[in-house]
Amino acid sequence: MIPGREYFWSIDHPELFYLFALAALVSFGRGVWLKIRPWLAAPRGLRPLEPARTAVILLRDGLLGARIFKTGPGSGLLHLLLLWGFLGLFLGTVLISADHYLFRFLFGPTYLLFSWSMEVLGLMLLAGVVWALARRYLAGEARLERDRAGLLVPAWLGLAGLSGFLVEGGRLAGLSPPGGGWSFAGGLVARLWASPEAAQGAYPFLWWGHALISLGLIAGLPFTRLFHALAAPVSLALQGQFLDRALDRALERAQGPAEGDEEERAGEAGGLDLLELVHLEACTRCGRCQEVCPAALAGEPLSPRTFLQALKAEREGLPEGGWCCTTCRACLQVCPVAAAPLGLVRTVRSRIVEEGASVPPRLMEGLERLYKYDNPWLAKKGGKTAWTRGLPFPVPDRPLEEEGEWLFFVGCTTGLETRAQGLARALALILHDRGVPFSTLGKREPCCGDVARQVGEVGLWEVQREQTLDLLEKGGLGNLVCSSPHCLDSFRKVYPGTLGGRDLKAVHYSQLLARLVDQGRLEFKEGLDLKLTFHDPCYLARHNRIVEEPRRVLRAIPGVELREMADSGLKTLCCGGGGGRMWHEPEGQASPGLAQRRLAQAAEAGAEAVVTACPLCLIMLEDARKTGGFEERLKVVDLAELAARALGLDIEEDKEGGG
Amino acid sequence: MKILVLVKNVPEAAEADLEVDSKSGTLETGDLVYSINEWDNYALEEAVRLKESRGGEVTVLTLGDEEAEDVLRRGLAMGADRAVHLLDEAFEGSDPRTVAKAVARAVQGQGFDLILAGVQSSDLAQAQTGVLLAQELDLPFATLAVGLEIREGRAEVTRELEANTLERVELPLPALVTIQSGINQPRYVSIMGIRKVRRMTVDLRDCRALGLTEEEVGPGCSFVQERRLLQPPAGQGATMLEGSLPEACRTLAGIIKDRGGL
Repeated sequence: MIPGREYFWSIDHPELFYLFALAALVSFGRGVWLKIRPWLAAPRGLRPLEPARTAVILLRDGLLGARIFKTGPGSGLLHLLLLWGFLGLFLGTVLISADHYLFRFLFGPTYLLFSWSMEVLGLMLLAGVVWALARRYLAGEARLERDRAGLLVPAWLGLAGLSGFLVEGGRLAGLSPPGGGWSFAGGLVARLWASPEAAQGAYPFLWWGHALISLGLIAGLPFTRLFHALAAPVSLALQGQFLDRALDRALERAQGPAEGDEEERAGEAGGLDLLELVHLEACTRCGRCQEVCPAALAGEPLSPRTFLQALKAEREGLPEGGWCCTTCRACLQVCPVAAAPLGLVRTVRSRIVEEGASVPPRLMEGLERLYKYDNPWLAKKGGKTAWTRGLPFPVPDRPLEEEGEWLFFVGCTTGLETRAQGLARALALILHDRGVPFSTLGKREPCCGDVARQVGEVGLWEVQREQTLDLLEKGGLGNLVCSSPHCLDSFRKVYPGTLGGRDLKAVHYSQLLARLVDQGRLEFKEGLDLKLTFHDPCYLARHNRIVEEPRRVLRAIPGVELREMADSGLKTLCCGGGGGRMWHEPEGQASPGLAQRRLAQAAEAGAEAVVTACPLCLIMLEDARKTGGFEERLKVVDLAELAARALGLDIEEDKEGGG
Repeated sequence: MKILVLVKNVPEAAEADLEVDSKSGTLETGDLVYSINEWDNYALEEAVRLKESRGGEVTVLTLGDEEAEDVLRRGLAMGADRAVHLLDEAFEGSDPRTVAKAVARAVQGQGFDLILAGVQSSDLAQAQTGVLLAQELDLPFATLAVGLEIREGRAEVTRELEANTLERVELPLPALVTIQSGINQPRYVSIMGIRKVRRMTVDLRDCRALGLTEEEVGPGCSFVQERRLLQPPAGQGATMLEGSLPEACRTLAGIIKDRGGL
């Protein structure tokens, strides 16, 4: 007899099975429809997907789970066991149906190989379930929630797997089919029965049990946390989409006449768009975001996971901790499904700001000043040249004349805040000394709009962006060097790439300094006998992947020993100054807490000085140095200040090191 | 309930370096930023909250130059339903009584149940326009309100007095109340919010529309006329420290030490 499957052995009323299968499919379809109906109704605003790239992403991050492996081989393997076990067994069931109804191909050696594969897949699924439950409820991995609802899916999968082996064992015991030895695990289960008759008696119950559990899994999938299996691939396929959704919508509104329509659609989706709704459904509550969130680590009331889940449950209002987010991007980087609250935080903030009634008073004052004075520092209009005081040469503010000339976009903080002004002076000194032609916008320099962008004042952001573009276009200025990574990020992400036929390009001053080092134009005569560590600003490293250039400058200085902190480069630890937090204190925040944690890392690395390359980081770290008792142990220096000192340029020594 | 709120566009003076032109005795306004008078903002918020809780309609009214339209737009964005702008060059130089007279003409017979105004304006601080308007309209009024409740056709007003005392008064509607700062926490008005009301119209009225001749307004018929602004003479004993921050700090430390402060 040729090995093969005997269908509906000992089963009465197989037609009932079809009825149940139909019911399961209807439930599945209805559930999926309920979930994705709001997606289809929501505004889109998506960049077109490239099919080849999307396929690669789905294979790499979906089937192979590459983003999960980033948090360690254990997590990755565990998920593969479950995913492949589940998918494989599902595919196996489809093949069996095809064998039964379409054409018979599962016989002989093919069937034996098939049986063996199903054994392996079943064991994989069971191993995954046991591992997952043990990790969550026994080992108690910190980031995982130990709620009862979390038991449902693994328990269900486990029951489906176990009942499958029981059915198989019963069939093997009852029929003793040829080649049964290939079903090695099922063979062990078959020993449960003393006789073939006993197995046959139990078989229908086992079969129906397995059928109902498995059909129930399909019927319930859209209503359980297993729905991530459908939502996550969509979220992954959409990774790399523009995350400033509210800004994008504002720009679209400004251009298109379809205003009313779009707004209505957004209203129906609770003010969220397609990408954001997908993110809400894709989140598996794994808690990786929680582990890396600098605000959460400093004990502030923000939990990225809870934020997202709260938003999913209740579209109105701002979930707790929404003003604590520094927009550092850490959550997005670790999120296995590329969802994370970063974009949602900005969107919800914009809604709160537009509604107006629950904007925190400090932030309200800050925004009103930002509007009136065009900078967040309460400086008079036209006060932006304050930083040039004391420089031994006049800082030019004429239109650019030659090719290769730089427009030094000083930025509000660097231009106006006392500590940060040292950065601007040092950079101007270096450029002047090395004969690098540059100009500034002088008193006319506007705010690029980044603060408004981060706190969700979308209208103000639009106004500031327009006036900046206007000024740049009139001056024919397109070759920008920014002191602040925040301005840099704005120019790169939310400004057009071209302006009046010219490229609008922005680089960070660390990149310009590195270029000068490469060209041999920065000879550091003064050796500095210093153990340094570099604090990567989030908007430089995490948002713009610039990590090598500042280190290249530091390594070029003789005598400098560069040490790395526990969190560095693309995985830097935020100082707490981003996301507009420099200008308001969110409730329950421990603001110096974030920067103090950072300085503790620097001290641990054995550094004598922390170098950074961002005016906000400079201020935050300097504050933490004073409030956290690091004054004797650490200095805080800006990269340009350090470079100027190593060049033997006359910068005010007292400025640096916080004297 | 129909509520009227008086608002004024004023220069932001608290954080600006004010300069008075010594010849003309007027304020140099070039670098100044203008916005809604702080007290009026509280009054407007109070009106919008009353509307939100009890229903009704809020009208926001200003008398001022063309720029003053900004505060009306802001008021509409905040939740007002209508805006009235009394705009005429002839109003220039009017004292509070004349302003109140013009406003009274615009308001008379409109059936407002409640008129709210800021206690005073931050620029000239006369604190008169509100009460003079009540006089013109023959309405009961209460000033310095830090609490306001409407009950069965009566306004219950909590007034802020000196030495941390409060007074509770009750007056029949219609009435006029001047609002003290701190009565509430005014909401934020976003640029997007202002943009959303751009299609709403502002009701413009000049002298003629109010049934006034140009001689009946302006400095000519005002009791009080502004002569000039002055800056107080510089006092003795102040030293301005020059130089960079570290230098200034060193000098300061030296001074403190010299005078026995340490």
